[in-house]
Amino acid sequence: MSDIGIKLIYWDRVFEAGFWILVTLFFYYLALRIQRALGGTPLANPVLLAAAPIIGLLIAADIWVGDYMGGGQALLWLLGPATVGIAVPLYRNFARVRSALLPMAAALVTGSTVAVVSAVLIGDAMGASVETIRSLAPKSVTTPIAMGIAEEIGGYPSLAAAFVILTGIVGAVFGAAFFQLLRIRDERAKGFAMGIAAHGIGTARAFQENEVQGTFSGIAMALNGIVTALVLPLLWLAFS
Amino acid sequence: MRLAGQLFLAFLVLVACDTAGRLISWWLGLPVPGTVIGILFLLGGLVAIRRVPEAVGRVADFLLAHLNFLYIPAGVGVMSYAALFAEDLWPILVALFASTFLAMLAAGYAFMAVARLTGNRERGE
Repeated sequence: MSDIGIKLIYWDRVFEAGFWILVTLFFYYLALRIQRALGGTPLANPVLLAAAPIIGLLIAADIWVGDYMGGGQALLWLLGPATVGIAVPLYRNFARVRSALLPMAAALVTGSTVAVVSAVLIGDAMGASVETIRSLAPKSVTTPIAMGIAEEIGGYPSLAAAFVILTGIVGAVFGAAFFQLLRIRDERAKGFAMGIAAHGIGTARAFQENEVQGTFSGIAMALNGIVTALVLPLLWLAFS
Repeated sequence: MRLAGQLFLAFLVLVACDTAGRLISWWLGLPVPGTVIGILFLLGGLVAIRRVPEAVGRVADFLLAHLNFLYIPAGVGVMSYAALFAEDLWPILVALFASTFLAMLAAGYAFMAVARLTGNRERGE
């Protein structure tokens, strides 16, 4: 990685954004090396392993997170085209997906309901503030949708975004252990459950496992986002 | 060089699908995120030509294998809100862990139960 070290200095003078992208790439590379050294375990989650030292670096050097986000936004933009790429494994596994429409529908309805209701009930039972609970409700859907929902039901969009990311990391890190504990061995069910509970970060992990898991996770993430966006605000009106 | 050009072109196809999806979602005010519409555009294209062009397959597989990289800035962004959840730390931690577990349990068991009922089992069961 010494060549990247040289480029770091070079790009630093040219653009800040390029610099931060390279810093992110460097820590991502390190995180992957660590994960591989540990036998590919989901416990060594690359998002967590790379984001933590970057946060430490920003705090230690007293750099505003907004400066970092100059580069960060470019990567977040790239998430769009990368996610569109899910069409490729979806096409390759089309027969398998089409034959699982009923199991997917059942898992979508129960999973998306439990993801929202359990978060709200637990938050309420443990005495969290109303704003926290409202920001927790959409934690299992992708960030832009969750922020919109939180806004609509009276939570904080930015807090909701943080909960979404933490939920994704929890799902990606512990998903495999949960599936083992629950004796869920069907790769399709694992992937679908991952996508429902832990959206894109879970899907990133699922693609590290295998293509079937990744594909079903991607489908679940897309469907859960749509269903939760349509249903949650209505449910909220009905019950509050 | 030719391969590099094809890969770049394939990447532009993904960008075009995503951008078109986002624009349509925004214009029509759809509750569906633009990127999901983008997935449908690319899928429609693949179904129409009945194959995955090699360059498109390679670019998509590469990006999906490294999705984690693209989520790192979102992870870094969490630091801005640390103060906001300090007061409700325990409810938040318990809700995030327990609710993620319960959602996986519900979705996973519902999937397997209906797969069993409809005779749609797969390996590992």
